[in-house]
Amino acid sequence: MAITSTLITTVTTGTALDRAVGRGWAFTSLTLALRPGSDGPWTDSVVRIRERSDVRGPKQLLTQFMITIENVSKIKSRTQILYDVSFEARPGRVTGFLGPNGAGKTSALRILLGLDRPQSGTALIRGRPYRKLDRPLTTVGALLDGSGAHRARTARAHLRWVAASNGLPNSRADEVLEVVGLTGDARKRAGRFSLGMSRRLGLATALLGDPAVLVLDEPVNGLDPAGIRWMREFLKNSAAQGRTVLVSSHLMGELAEIADDVIVINKGRVVIHGRLADVTGGHRTLEDAFFALTAAEAGSPW
Amino acid sequence: MVRLIRAELRKLLGLPTAWIGLVLGTLTAPVIVLLNAPYTRRAIAAGTLTDPSDLGMRDLGVGLIGPIILGVIVVSSEYTSTGPDTPGARQLTATLVAVPDRLRLLVAKTTALVLVVAVQATVTTAATLTLTQVLHGIHAPAPAPARVAAAILYWTLTALLAYAITLITRNGIVPLTLLIINSSVVSVSYLLTKVTDLASYLPDIAGAQMFIGTAGFPVEIAPVTAGMVMTAWVVALLGLGAVLFQRRDV
Repeated sequence: MAITSTLITTVTTGTALDRAVGRGWAFTSLTLALRPGSDGPWTDSVVRIRERSDVRGPKQLLTQFMITIENVSKIKSRTQILYDVSFEARPGRVTGFLGPNGAGKTSALRILLGLDRPQSGTALIRGRPYRKLDRPLTTVGALLDGSGAHRARTARAHLRWVAASNGLPNSRADEVLEVVGLTGDARKRAGRFSLGMSRRLGLATALLGDPAVLVLDEPVNGLDPAGIRWMREFLKNSAAQGRTVLVSSHLMGELAEIADDVIVINKGRVVIHGRLADVTGGHRTLEDAFFALTAAEAGSPW
Repeated sequence: MVRLIRAELRKLLGLPTAWIGLVLGTLTAPVIVLLNAPYTRRAIAAGTLTDPSDLGMRDLGVGLIGPIILGVIVVSSEYTSTGPDTPGARQLTATLVAVPDRLRLLVAKTTALVLVVAVQATVTTAATLTLTQVLHGIHAPAPAPARVAAAILYWTLTALLAYAITLITRNGIVPLTLLIINSSVVSVSYLLTKVTDLASYLPDIAGAQMFIGTAGFPVEIAPVTAGMVMTAWVVALLGLGAVLFQRRDV
Protein backbone atom coordinates (compact mmCIF):
# COMPACT_ATOMS: atom_id res chain seq x y z
CA MET A 1 0.00 0.00 0.00
CA ALA A 2 1.37 3.34 -0.99
CA ILE A 3 0.56 6.24 1.23
CA THR A 4 0.20 9.39 -0.77
CA SER A 5 -1.37 12.14 1.23
CA THR A 6 -0.86 11.58 4.92
CA LEU A 7 2.07 12.35 7.14
CA ILE A 8 1.90 10.81 10.54
CA THR A 9 4.71 11.08 13.01
CA THR A 10 5.16 9.99 16.56
CA VAL A 11 7.76 11.80 18.53
CA THR A 12 8.98 10.86 21.96
CA THR A 13 10.33 13.67 24.08
CA GLY A 14 11.60 13.81 27.59
CA THR A 15 14.23 15.04 29.96
CA ALA A 16 16.98 13.28 31.78
CA LEU A 17 18.79 14.49 34.82
CA ASP A 18 22.03 13.53 36.46
CA ARG A 19 21.86 15.04 39.89
CA ALA A 20 25.30 13.85 40.85
CA VAL A 21 26.84 16.24 38.36
CA GLY A 22 23.97 18.72 38.27
CA ARG A 23 23.34 18.46 34.52
CA GLY A 24 20.14 17.94 32.62
CA TRP A 25 19.32 16.96 29.04
CA ALA A 26 16.29 17.10 26.80
CA PHE A 27 15.84 14.47 24.13
CA THR A 28 13.55 14.04 21.18
CA SER A 29 13.30 10.89 19.17
CA LEU A 30 11.24 10.40 16.05
CA THR A 31 9.98 6.89 16.50
CA LEU A 32 7.40 6.35 13.81
CA ALA A 33 6.56 8.11 10.61
CA LEU A 34 4.16 7.49 7.79
CA ARG A 35 5.29 9.52 4.84
CA PRO A 36 3.57 10.25 1.57
CA GLY A 37 4.95 8.00 -1.08
CA SER A 38 6.44 5.50 1.32
CA ASP A 39 5.43 1.88 1.61
CA GLY A 40 4.48 1.99 5.25
CA PRO A 41 5.68 2.93 8.69
CA TRP A 42 9.23 4.02 8.88
CA THR A 43 11.23 4.29 12.02
CA ASP A 44 13.86 6.89 12.64
CA SER A 45 16.64 5.79 14.87
CA VAL A 46 18.04 9.26 15.44
CA VAL A 47 17.70 10.58 18.95
CA ARG A 48 18.37 14.26 19.30
CA ILE A 49 19.82 15.34 22.61
CA ARG A 50 20.60 18.82 23.82
CA GLU A 51 21.75 19.91 27.21
CA ARG A 52 19.25 22.05 29.10
CA SER A 53 20.47 24.69 31.46
CA ASP A 54 17.03 24.97 33.08
CA VAL A 55 17.08 21.39 34.26
CA ARG A 56 19.55 21.75 37.06
CA GLY A 57 19.81 19.39 39.89
CA PRO A 58 21.41 19.87 43.26
CA LYS A 59 24.97 18.72 43.02
CA GLN A 60 24.86 16.57 46.12
CA LEU A 61 23.49 13.08 46.18
CA LEU A 62 19.87 13.31 47.19
CA THR A 63 19.98 10.24 49.36
CA GLN A 64 21.70 12.23 52.07
CA PHE A 65 18.85 14.68 52.48
CA MET A 66 16.96 13.12 55.30
CA ILE A 67 14.91 15.05 57.83
CA THR A 68 15.38 13.81 61.37
CA ILE A 69 13.39 15.11 64.30
CA GLU A 70 14.34 13.65 67.65
CA ASN A 71 12.63 14.03 71.01
CA VAL A 72 11.39 17.55 70.37
CA SER A 73 9.35 19.16 73.13
CA LYS A 74 7.98 22.67 73.00
CA ILE A 75 6.22 24.85 75.53
CA LYS A 76 4.55 28.00 74.27
CA SER A 77 2.78 30.46 76.56
CA ARG A 78 3.03 27.97 79.46
CA THR A 79 1.23 25.28 77.44
CA GLN A 80 3.08 22.22 76.24
CA ILE A 81 2.30 21.86 72.55
CA LEU A 82 4.80 19.14 71.58
CA TYR A 83 5.72 16.10 73.68
CA ASP A 84 8.89 14.25 72.77
CA VAL A 85 8.14 14.26 69.06
CA SER A 86 10.37 12.07 66.88
CA PHE A 87 10.09 11.17 63.23
CA GLU A 88 11.98 11.25 59.97
CA ALA A 89 11.30 11.94 56.33
CA ARG A 90 13.28 10.12 53.66
CA PRO A 91 14.45 11.09 50.19
CA GLY A 92 12.38 9.92 47.28
CA ARG A 93 9.22 9.64 49.34
CA VAL A 94 6.29 11.85 50.18
CA THR A 95 5.96 11.91 53.95
CA GLY A 96 2.52 13.02 55.11
CA PHE A 97 2.36 14.78 58.45
CA LEU A 98 -1.20 14.30 59.52
CA GLY A 99 -3.23 15.60 62.40
CA PRO A 100 -6.23 17.73 63.34
CA ASN A 101 -6.00 21.52 63.68
CA GLY A 102 -3.92 22.46 66.69
CA ALA A 103 -2.21 19.07 66.93
CA GLY A 104 1.25 20.65 66.64
CA LYS A 105 2.04 20.15 62.94
CA THR A 106 2.92 23.76 62.22
CA SER A 107 4.86 24.07 65.49
CA ALA A 108 6.99 21.07 64.61
CA LEU A 109 7.68 22.40 61.10
CA ARG A 110 8.58 25.85 62.46
CA ILE A 111 11.09 24.22 64.80
CA LEU A 112 12.50 22.23 61.88
CA LEU A 113 12.99 25.50 59.96
CA GLY A 114 14.71 27.23 62.86
CA LEU A 115 11.93 29.78 63.30
CA ASP A 116 10.99 28.60 66.78
CA ARG A 117 13.23 27.05 69.38
CA PRO A 118 12.31 23.79 71.12
CA GLN A 119 12.75 23.34 74.89
CA SER A 120 14.55 20.10 74.13
CA GLY A 121 15.33 17.80 71.25
CA THR A 122 16.87 18.29 67.82
CA ALA A 123 15.56 18.88 64.33
CA LEU A 124 18.08 18.18 61.59
CA ILE A 125 18.19 18.30 57.83
CA ARG A 126 21.00 16.23 56.36
CA GLY A 127 22.43 16.03 59.85
CA ARG A 128 22.53 19.78 60.43
CA PRO A 129 20.17 22.21 62.14
CA TYR A 130 18.48 24.56 59.67
CA ARG A 131 20.13 27.61 61.22
CA LYS A 132 23.55 26.22 60.30
CA LEU A 133 22.77 25.80 56.60
CA ASP A 134 24.60 28.09 54.20
CA ARG A 135 22.35 29.43 51.41
CA PRO A 136 19.54 27.29 52.87
CA LEU A 137 17.17 27.82 49.94
CA THR A 138 19.43 25.70 47.76
CA THR A 139 18.80 22.79 50.14
CA VAL A 140 15.33 23.34 51.57
CA GLY A 141 12.19 24.87 50.10
CA ALA A 142 9.59 25.81 52.70
CA LEU A 143 5.98 26.85 52.41
CA LEU A 144 4.31 28.18 55.54
CA ASP A 145 1.26 30.35 56.20
CA GLY A 146 0.69 32.97 53.48
CA SER A 147 3.12 33.98 50.76
CA GLY A 148 5.70 35.69 52.98
CA ALA A 149 5.65 38.67 50.64
CA HIS A 150 5.12 42.18 51.99
CA ARG A 151 1.78 43.53 50.77
CA ALA A 152 3.31 46.46 48.93
CA ARG A 153 5.79 44.33 46.98
CA THR A 154 5.15 42.83 43.57
CA ALA A 155 5.48 39.08 43.21
CA ARG A 156 8.61 39.52 41.12
CA ALA A 157 10.22 42.02 43.52
CA HIS A 158 9.60 39.64 46.42
CA LEU A 159 11.15 36.69 44.61
CA ARG A 160 14.12 38.77 43.53
CA TRP A 161 15.17 39.84 47.00
CA VAL A 162 14.77 36.30 48.27
CA ALA A 163 16.89 35.06 45.36
CA ALA A 164 19.53 37.72 46.03
CA SER A 165 19.78 36.71 49.69
CA ASN A 166 20.81 33.22 48.63
CA GLY A 167 23.05 34.22 45.75
CA LEU A 168 20.58 33.06 43.09
CA PRO A 169 20.24 34.97 39.81
CA ASN A 170 17.31 37.33 39.14
CA SER A 171 16.19 35.11 36.29
CA ARG A 172 15.10 32.45 38.79
CA ALA A 173 12.19 34.71 39.82
CA ASP A 174 10.52 34.50 36.43
CA GLU A 175 11.33 30.81 36.10
CA VAL A 176 9.55 29.87 39.32
CA LEU A 177 6.63 32.21 38.54
CA GLU A 178 6.17 30.22 35.37
CA VAL A 179 6.28 26.91 37.25
CA VAL A 180 3.41 27.97 39.53
CA GLY A 181 1.48 29.69 36.75
CA LEU A 182 1.83 33.27 37.99
CA THR A 183 3.76 34.74 35.06
CA GLY A 184 0.89 37.09 34.22
CA ASP A 185 0.77 38.38 37.81
CA ALA A 186 4.49 39.08 38.20
CA ARG A 187 3.94 42.83 38.47
CA LYS A 188 0.93 42.61 40.76
CA ARG A 189 1.35 43.58 44.43
CA ALA A 190 1.20 40.64 46.82
CA GLY A 191 -1.46 42.43 48.92
CA ARG A 192 -3.90 42.08 46.03
CA PHE A 193 -3.39 38.34 45.62
CA SER A 194 -6.17 35.88 46.40
CA LEU A 195 -5.52 33.15 48.96
CA GLY A 196 -4.79 30.63 46.21
CA MET A 197 -2.40 33.00 44.43
CA SER A 198 -0.60 33.73 47.71
CA ARG A 199 -0.07 30.02 48.24
CA ARG A 200 1.34 29.69 44.75
CA LEU A 201 3.66 32.65 45.32
CA GLY A 202 4.77 30.99 48.55
CA LEU A 203 5.49 27.80 46.64
CA ALA A 204 7.38 29.75 43.98
CA THR A 205 9.56 31.18 46.77
CA ALA A 206 10.20 27.66 48.05
CA LEU A 207 11.31 26.51 44.60
CA LEU A 208 13.78 29.35 43.96
CA GLY A 209 16.85 27.37 44.95
CA ASP A 210 15.77 24.09 43.29
CA PRO A 211 15.93 22.43 46.71
CA ALA A 212 16.38 18.73 47.43
CA VAL A 213 14.06 18.99 50.44
CA LEU A 214 10.52 20.37 50.46
CA VAL A 215 8.75 21.25 53.70
CA LEU A 216 5.20 22.30 53.00
CA ASP A 217 2.61 23.23 55.62
CA GLU A 218 -0.94 22.61 54.43
CA PRO A 219 -0.03 23.26 50.79
CA VAL A 220 -3.50 22.64 49.34
CA ASN A 221 -5.24 25.12 51.65
CA GLY A 222 -6.92 27.79 49.56
CA LEU A 223 -6.24 26.08 46.24
CA ASP A 224 -9.02 25.44 43.76
CA PRO A 225 -9.64 21.87 42.51
CA ALA A 226 -7.30 22.36 39.56
CA GLY A 227 -4.64 23.72 41.91
CA ILE A 228 -5.06 20.77 44.29
CA ARG A 229 -4.67 18.35 41.42
CA TRP A 230 -1.59 20.20 40.22
CA MET A 231 -0.08 20.17 43.72
CA ARG A 232 -0.69 16.43 44.05
CA GLU A 233 1.19 15.75 40.81
CA PHE A 234 3.90 18.19 41.77
CA LEU A 235 4.53 16.48 45.12
CA LYS A 236 4.57 13.01 43.58
CA ASN A 237 6.95 14.14 40.84
CA SER A 238 9.24 15.83 43.32
CA ALA A 239 9.54 12.63 45.31
CA ALA A 240 10.00 10.62 42.11
CA GLN A 241 12.95 12.89 41.29
CA GLY A 242 14.50 11.83 44.55
CA ARG A 243 13.55 14.81 46.70
CA THR A 244 12.56 14.58 50.32
CA VAL A 245 8.98 15.81 50.59
CA LEU A 246 7.45 16.51 54.00
CA VAL A 247 3.91 17.76 53.72
CA SER A 248 1.48 18.49 56.53
CA SER A 249 -2.27 18.36 56.20
CA HIS A 250 -5.43 17.89 58.20
CA LEU A 251 -7.10 16.43 55.11
CA MET A 252 -6.71 12.69 55.44
CA GLY A 253 -8.21 11.81 52.08
CA GLU A 254 -5.81 14.18 50.40
CA LEU A 255 -2.74 12.69 52.07
CA ALA A 256 -3.86 9.12 51.47
CA GLU A 257 -3.69 9.92 47.75
CA ILE A 258 -0.06 10.95 47.71
CA ALA A 259 1.83 9.89 50.82
CA ASP A 260 4.28 7.01 50.90
CA ASP A 261 4.89 7.39 54.63
CA VAL A 262 2.58 8.85 57.24
CA ILE A 263 3.14 10.42 60.62
CA VAL A 264 0.01 10.93 62.69
CA ILE A 265 0.20 13.56 65.40
CA ASN A 266 -2.51 14.37 67.91
CA LYS A 267 -2.42 16.74 70.86
CA GLY A 268 1.31 17.22 70.50
CA ARG A 269 2.23 13.52 70.44
CA VAL A 270 3.16 11.30 67.53
CA VAL A 271 0.52 8.56 67.56
CA ILE A 272 1.91 6.40 64.78
CA HIS A 273 4.63 6.63 62.17
CA GLY A 274 5.21 4.31 59.23
CA ARG A 275 4.39 3.39 55.67
CA LEU A 276 0.92 4.38 54.52
CA ALA A 277 -0.22 0.77 54.17
CA ASP A 278 1.04 -0.12 57.65
CA VAL A 279 -0.60 2.89 59.25
CA THR A 280 -3.90 2.24 57.51
CA GLY A 281 -3.50 -1.39 58.61
CA GLY A 282 -6.73 -3.31 58.79
CA HIS A 283 -8.84 -0.19 58.43
CA ARG A 284 -10.72 0.68 55.30
CA THR A 285 -9.18 4.13 54.90
CA LEU A 286 -6.52 6.30 56.48
CA GLU A 287 -9.34 8.33 57.98
CA ASP A 288 -10.80 5.29 59.73
CA ALA A 289 -7.36 4.40 61.00
CA PHE A 290 -6.83 7.93 62.25
CA PHE A 291 -10.04 7.98 64.26
CA ALA A 292 -9.37 4.51 65.60
CA LEU A 293 -5.89 5.60 66.73
CA THR A 294 -7.13 8.75 68.41
CA ALA A 295 -10.47 7.38 69.62
CA ALA A 296 -9.39 6.93 73.21
CA GLU A 297 -9.34 10.68 73.75
CA ALA A 298 -12.02 11.62 71.26
CA GLY A 299 -15.22 13.01 72.65
CA SER A 300 -17.11 15.66 70.83
CA PRO A 301 -15.58 16.41 67.41
CA TRP A 302 -15.10 20.05 68.44
CA MET B 1 27.76 39.08 53.56
CA VAL B 2 27.73 41.33 50.50
CA ARG B 3 24.88 39.29 49.03
CA LEU B 4 22.87 39.68 52.24
CA ILE B 5 23.42 43.45 52.27
CA ARG B 6 22.41 43.64 48.63
CA ALA B 7 19.23 41.70 49.38
CA GLU B 8 18.41 43.98 52.32
CA LEU B 9 18.99 47.10 50.22
CA ARG B 10 16.70 45.73 47.55
CA LYS B 11 14.10 44.90 50.18
CA LEU B 12 14.22 48.35 51.77
CA LEU B 13 14.19 50.31 48.53
CA GLY B 14 11.35 48.14 47.20
CA LEU B 15 8.95 49.53 49.80
CA PRO B 16 6.83 52.55 48.83
CA THR B 17 7.00 53.80 52.44
CA ALA B 18 10.79 53.87 52.20
CA TRP B 19 10.52 56.30 49.31
CA ILE B 20 8.19 58.52 51.35
CA GLY B 21 10.94 58.59 53.98
CA LEU B 22 13.63 59.23 51.39
CA VAL B 23 11.80 62.07 49.63
CA LEU B 24 10.46 63.72 52.80
CA GLY B 25 13.79 63.47 54.56
CA THR B 26 15.78 64.80 51.66
CA LEU B 27 13.52 67.71 50.70
CA THR B 28 12.10 68.99 53.99
CA ALA B 29 15.16 70.82 55.28
CA PRO B 30 16.04 72.63 51.99
CA VAL B 31 12.38 73.62 51.52
CA ILE B 32 12.22 75.03 55.06
CA VAL B 33 15.35 77.08 54.37
CA LEU B 34 13.64 78.50 51.28
CA LEU B 35 10.36 79.25 53.07
CA ASN B 36 12.11 80.81 56.05
CA ALA B 37 14.38 82.98 53.89
CA PRO B 38 12.42 86.28 54.27
CA TYR B 39 12.11 85.79 58.03
CA THR B 40 15.79 84.90 58.36
CA ARG B 41 16.80 88.02 56.37
CA ARG B 42 14.79 90.22 58.73
CA ALA B 43 16.29 88.49 61.75
CA ILE B 44 19.80 89.05 60.38
CA ALA B 45 19.01 92.71 59.70
CA ALA B 46 17.57 93.18 63.19
CA GLY B 47 20.53 91.38 64.72
CA THR B 48 18.28 89.00 66.73
CA LEU B 49 19.91 85.84 65.44
CA THR B 50 21.68 84.11 68.32
CA ASP B 51 24.30 82.24 66.35
CA PRO B 52 24.59 82.83 62.59
CA SER B 53 26.89 79.84 62.23
CA ASP B 54 23.88 77.64 63.08
CA LEU B 55 21.99 78.91 60.04
CA GLY B 56 21.01 75.94 57.90
CA MET B 57 22.28 73.51 60.53
CA ARG B 58 19.23 74.08 62.74
CA ASP B 59 16.89 73.50 59.79
CA LEU B 60 18.34 70.02 59.32
CA GLY B 61 16.39 68.86 62.38
CA VAL B 62 13.00 68.86 60.66
CA GLY B 63 14.30 66.52 57.97
CA LEU B 64 14.89 63.84 60.60
CA ILE B 65 11.44 62.49 59.81
CA GLY B 66 13.18 60.76 56.87
CA PRO B 67 15.72 58.65 58.77
CA ILE B 68 13.10 57.95 61.45
CA ILE B 69 10.69 56.50 58.87
CA LEU B 70 13.50 54.51 57.25
CA GLY B 71 14.80 53.16 60.56
CA VAL B 72 11.34 52.08 61.68
CA ILE B 73 10.15 50.43 58.48
CA VAL B 74 13.31 48.39 57.98
CA VAL B 75 12.02 46.37 60.94
CA SER B 76 8.26 47.02 60.99
CA SER B 77 7.83 45.85 57.39
CA GLU B 78 9.01 42.42 58.56
CA TYR B 79 6.28 42.26 61.18
CA THR B 80 3.23 43.62 59.33
CA SER B 81 0.65 41.01 58.38
CA THR B 82 0.92 39.95 54.76
CA GLY B 83 -2.82 39.89 54.20
CA PRO B 84 -6.30 39.50 55.68
CA ASP B 85 -6.49 35.82 54.63
CA THR B 86 -3.53 34.93 56.81
CA PRO B 87 -3.41 37.38 59.72
CA GLY B 88 -0.49 35.62 61.38
CA ALA B 89 1.73 35.52 58.29
CA ARG B 90 4.56 38.03 58.04
CA GLN B 91 7.48 38.73 55.78
CA LEU B 92 9.81 37.85 58.65
CA THR B 93 9.07 34.16 58.08
CA ALA B 94 10.33 34.41 54.50
CA THR B 95 13.31 36.44 55.68
CA LEU B 96 14.40 33.95 58.32
CA VAL B 97 13.81 30.93 56.09
CA ALA B 98 16.12 32.59 53.55
CA VAL B 99 18.64 33.84 56.14
CA PRO B 100 18.37 31.74 59.30
CA ASP B 101 21.50 33.16 60.92
CA ARG B 102 19.84 36.02 62.77
CA LEU B 103 22.99 37.84 63.77
CA ARG B 104 24.23 37.98 60.17
CA LEU B 105 20.77 39.11 59.10
CA LEU B 106 20.84 41.97 61.61
CA VAL B 107 24.33 43.03 60.53
CA ALA B 108 23.17 43.11 56.90
CA LYS B 109 20.02 45.04 57.78
CA THR B 110 21.93 47.57 59.86
CA THR B 111 24.51 48.07 57.12
CA ALA B 112 21.83 48.59 54.47
CA LEU B 113 20.07 51.17 56.65
CA VAL B 114 23.30 53.02 57.44
CA LEU B 115 24.24 53.16 53.76
CA VAL B 116 20.87 54.54 52.67
CA VAL B 117 20.61 57.10 55.47
CA ALA B 118 24.22 58.25 55.16
CA VAL B 119 23.70 58.96 51.46
CA GLN B 120 20.42 60.72 52.17
CA ALA B 121 21.95 62.80 54.97
CA THR B 122 24.90 63.78 52.78
CA VAL B 123 22.63 64.91 49.96
CA THR B 124 20.23 66.87 52.14
CA THR B 125 22.99 68.46 54.26
CA ALA B 126 24.82 69.56 51.13
CA ALA B 127 21.60 70.95 49.63
CA THR B 128 20.56 72.75 52.82
CA LEU B 129 23.96 74.34 53.44
CA THR B 130 24.44 75.35 49.81
CA LEU B 131 21.02 76.94 49.77
CA THR B 132 21.81 78.80 52.99
CA GLN B 133 25.02 80.09 51.45
CA VAL B 134 23.23 81.25 48.31
CA LEU B 135 20.41 82.96 50.24
CA HIS B 136 22.26 84.49 53.16
CA GLY B 137 25.80 84.55 51.83
CA ILE B 138 28.11 86.68 53.93
CA HIS B 139 25.97 86.45 57.07
CA ALA B 140 26.24 82.68 57.23
CA PRO B 141 29.83 81.54 57.58
CA ALA B 142 30.40 78.17 55.93
CA PRO B 143 30.35 75.55 58.70
CA ALA B 144 33.48 73.57 59.47
CA PRO B 145 33.71 70.14 57.76
CA ALA B 146 33.67 68.47 61.17
CA ARG B 147 30.25 69.98 61.93
CA VAL B 148 28.89 68.81 58.59
CA ALA B 149 30.20 65.31 59.27
CA ALA B 150 28.64 65.45 62.74
CA ALA B 151 25.26 66.39 61.23
CA ILE B 152 25.42 63.36 58.92
CA LEU B 153 26.39 61.18 61.87
CA TYR B 154 23.44 62.55 63.86
CA TRP B 155 21.04 61.58 61.08
CA THR B 156 22.50 58.09 60.84
CA LEU B 157 22.40 57.56 64.60
CA THR B 158 18.78 58.80 64.70
CA ALA B 159 17.84 56.19 62.06
CA LEU B 160 19.63 53.51 64.10
CA LEU B 161 17.83 54.65 67.25
CA ALA B 162 14.43 54.29 65.51
CA TYR B 163 15.56 50.91 64.15
CA ALA B 164 16.68 49.64 67.56
CA ILE B 165 13.46 50.72 69.29
CA THR B 166 11.36 49.01 66.60
CA LEU B 167 13.44 45.87 66.98
CA ILE B 168 12.38 45.84 70.62
CA THR B 169 8.70 46.79 70.10
CA ARG B 170 8.25 44.69 66.90
CA ASN B 171 5.68 47.23 65.80
CA GLY B 172 6.24 50.45 63.90
CA ILE B 173 3.40 52.57 65.21
CA VAL B 174 4.70 53.31 68.70
CA PRO B 175 8.26 54.33 67.75
CA LEU B 176 7.11 56.21 64.65
CA THR B 177 4.57 58.30 66.57
CA LEU B 178 6.86 58.89 69.50
CA LEU B 179 9.91 59.87 67.45
CA ILE B 180 8.13 61.97 64.84
CA ILE B 181 6.20 63.98 67.43
CA ASN B 182 9.36 64.39 69.45
CA SER B 183 11.38 65.58 66.46
CA SER B 184 8.82 67.87 64.84
CA VAL B 185 5.71 68.82 66.84
CA VAL B 186 6.58 68.98 70.52
CA SER B 187 10.00 67.94 71.73
CA VAL B 188 9.12 65.97 74.83
CA SER B 189 12.83 65.49 75.47
CA TYR B 190 13.34 69.26 75.42
CA LEU B 191 10.44 69.83 77.82
CA LEU B 192 11.97 67.23 80.14
CA THR B 193 15.21 69.19 80.26
CA LYS B 194 13.19 71.93 81.98
CA VAL B 195 12.30 69.42 84.68
CA THR B 196 15.61 67.67 85.17
CA ASP B 197 19.12 68.22 83.90
CA LEU B 198 19.42 64.48 83.38
CA ALA B 199 17.16 64.83 80.34
CA SER B 200 20.01 66.65 78.63
CA TYR B 201 21.59 63.24 78.21
CA LEU B 202 18.65 61.86 76.23
CA PRO B 203 19.92 60.78 72.81
CA ASP B 204 18.24 63.46 70.70
CA ILE B 205 19.15 66.38 72.98
CA ALA B 206 22.73 65.29 73.50
CA GLY B 207 23.18 64.23 69.87
CA ALA B 208 22.09 67.59 68.46
CA GLN B 209 24.97 69.25 70.30
CA MET B 210 27.38 67.40 68.04
CA PHE B 211 26.73 70.01 65.36
CA ILE B 212 24.52 72.80 66.75
CA GLY B 213 25.96 75.54 68.93
CA THR B 214 25.42 74.74 72.59
CA ALA B 215 23.65 78.02 73.36
CA GLY B 216 20.07 77.32 74.49
CA PHE B 217 20.78 73.92 75.99
CA PRO B 218 20.46 73.70 79.77
CA VAL B 219 23.55 71.52 80.08
CA GLU B 220 26.30 72.21 77.59
CA ILE B 221 27.89 69.08 76.24
CA ALA B 222 31.02 69.23 74.09
CA PRO B 223 30.49 67.88 70.52
CA VAL B 224 32.65 64.78 70.94
CA THR B 225 31.07 63.92 74.30
CA ALA B 226 27.64 64.51 72.73
CA GLY B 227 28.47 62.08 69.97
CA MET B 228 29.62 59.50 72.49
CA VAL B 229 26.45 59.89 74.59
CA MET B 230 24.22 59.34 71.56
CA THR B 231 26.31 56.44 70.30
CA ALA B 232 26.09 54.82 73.74
CA TRP B 233 22.28 55.04 73.60
CA VAL B 234 22.21 53.50 70.14
CA VAL B 235 24.63 50.71 71.07
CA ALA B 236 22.69 49.87 74.25
CA LEU B 237 19.27 49.78 72.55
CA LEU B 238 20.62 47.93 69.52
CA GLY B 239 22.27 45.38 71.79
CA LEU B 240 19.02 44.79 73.66
CA GLY B 241 17.10 44.58 70.39
CA ALA B 242 19.59 42.10 68.95
CA VAL B 243 19.47 39.84 72.01
CA LEU B 244 15.66 39.80 71.92
CA PHE B 245 15.63 39.18 68.17
CA GLN B 246 18.04 36.29 68.58
CA ARG B 247 16.00 34.65 71.34
CA ARG B 248 12.43 35.21 70.27
CA ASP B 249 10.30 32.72 68.42
CA VAL B 250 9.04 34.24 65.21
